[in-house]
Amino acid sequence: MDFSVVVEYFPRLLEGTWVSLQLVVLSIVLGGIIALPIALARISPVLWIRSFPFAYIFFFRGTPLLVQIFLVYYGASQFEVVRESFLWPILREPFWCAIIAFTLNTSAYTAEIFRGAIQAIPPGEVEACKVVGMSKAQMYRRVLLPRAFGIVLPAYGNEIILMLKGSALASTITILDLTGMARTIIARTYTPIEIFLAAGAIYLVISMVIIAIFRQVEKRQNRYLGSVSIKVPDKG
Amino acid sequence: MSKVPALELIDIHKTFGNVEVLKGISLKAYDGDVISILGSSGSGKSTFLRCINMLENPTKGEIIFNGESLNLVPDGSDLVSGNMKQLTKMRQQIGFVFQSFNLWPHMTILQNVMEGPAHVLKRPKHEVKAYAEHLLDKVGIADKKDMYPNQLSGGQQQRVAIARTLAMDPQVILFDEPTSALDPELVGEVLGVMRKLADEGRTMLIVTHEMNFAREVSSDVVFLHQGVVEEQGAPSKVFGSPESERCKAFLSSVF
Repeated sequence: MDFSVVVEYFPRLLEGTWVSLQLVVLSIVLGGIIALPIALARISPVLWIRSFPFAYIFFFRGTPLLVQIFLVYYGASQFEVVRESFLWPILREPFWCAIIAFTLNTSAYTAEIFRGAIQAIPPGEVEACKVVGMSKAQMYRRVLLPRAFGIVLPAYGNEIILMLKGSALASTITILDLTGMARTIIARTYTPIEIFLAAGAIYLVISMVIIAIFRQVEKRQNRYLGSVSIKVPDKG
Repeated sequence: MSKVPALELIDIHKTFGNVEVLKGISLKAYDGDVISILGSSGSGKSTFLRCINMLENPTKGEIIFNGESLNLVPDGSDLVSGNMKQLTKMRQQIGFVFQSFNLWPHMTILQNVMEGPAHVLKRPKHEVKAYAEHLLDKVGIADKKDMYPNQLSGGQQQRVAIARTLAMDPQVILFDEPTSALDPELVGEVLGVMRKLADEGRTMLIVTHEMNFAREVSSDVVFLHQGVVEEQGAPSKVFGSPESERCKAFLSSVF
C-alpha cells in the first residue's frame, strides 16, 4: 500500500468533501423547511389534508434514494415541456438534480420525525395552552414547536448522518462529491484501498463533528429535563 | 336587580361511547362562591369540570358565563364550540388547575407564569414580570423562579400552576383534583394556597377528595354519584345531615 497517493490527492479529496457538504447542508435546510408544513398537515384531523403528506411520505420512504435520483436526473429530461421550461437550466445540472432528490427524500423522513415529536408532547401540556386561551397559532409557536424541537433532536441528528452517507449516491450522476472524486482519482491511480480508506476517514470525521454538535445542542436544549436524565448509580 | 351567576351550567350531559358519564348536571356559581364537587371515582366530577371550559365536549347542555351563553354546535354526538373566538375569550377568564400540574417544561417557572398574560393577553412585559414575581411570592416559591418545572417537587409545581392561573386574573378558577397527584406531606402546602384564595373571595369550583378542606372552605358542596347530583347544599348540611343514602355511605367511607 502506498499512502503517498493520499497525500498527493488530498486537496482533490477536500474539493469533493466541499461538494458533499454543500449537498448535505442545502438538502437538509431545504428539506427541513418543506418538512414542517408536511408534518403539520400529516397530523391534521381533516382526512384530505393529511392524505397528501401520507402519500408523499409513503413514496419517498418506500423507494430507494438511488431510484429517486435517477428519476429526477434521467426522468425530467424525457419531457419536452421540462426541457423548454424555465426549470431546465436547473434540471440539467446534476448538482441541482441531486439537491432536488435529496431534499424531497430527507423532507419525507424529517416530516415523520417532526410528526412523532409533536405527537409525543404530553396532552396535558397542550390542554394547559387551551385553558389560558391560546389560539392554535400561539400554541404551536410558544409550546408545541419549541417542545418538539427538543424531542426531535436525537432522531434528527441521525437523519443528517444518514443524509451525509446517502449523499455518496450523487456520484452516480457524474457529481464529483467526495465519493465521486475518490472514484475519479482511483481510475487514474489504481489505488482503491488507499483512496477509499481516506474518503471513508473523511466521512467519519464529518459524522463525528455532526454528532458532537448535536450533543451540545441537545444538552442545551434539554437542560430543563436535567433531573429526569438517567443517572448511573455509584458502585458500592 | 337579580344577580347574574358568574358561571351557570344547565343540564350537562356527557357520553363516552355508550357510557353516559354525566346525566344532566346543573350548577350555578356566583361571584365569591367556593363550590366543592365531591364523589367517588367514576362519578363524573372531573369530566363535569372539564366540560365547563370545553376540554371535554359535552353531549348536551348549556354553558353560560357572565350571562353570555357559549355558542355550541353539534359535531357527531358531541357539542363543539361554534365560535372559537368566544371560547378562547372565555377560557382566558376561567382558570384551570390540573391534577398533574401540566407546566410547560421548556420554560422557567417565571416564564410559565408570564406566558399567559404576556403572550395571550399581550400585557406589557415589565408589568407582567412584576405581577408574576408577586404571585410567585404569594404561593411561596419566589426563590425558584429561574428554575425549570422538573427541578421542583410536585407541591411546588402545583403552586406554580396556581400562580400561572392567577396571572390571567381569572374571574372563576376550576381545580381538578389539585392535590391527588401529590405525596401526602405536600398536600398541605397546596391546600394552604387555595385556602388563601378562598379567603380573598375568589370564585372557585373544586373537584377534590380533601373532605376536611371542602368542609371548612366551601360555601357550597355538591355530591355527584353516577353522573347526577345526589346532594347539594352548605357544607354543614351535606357533611352534617345528608339526605341521600349514597352521600351518607360515601361520607362514612371516607371519614
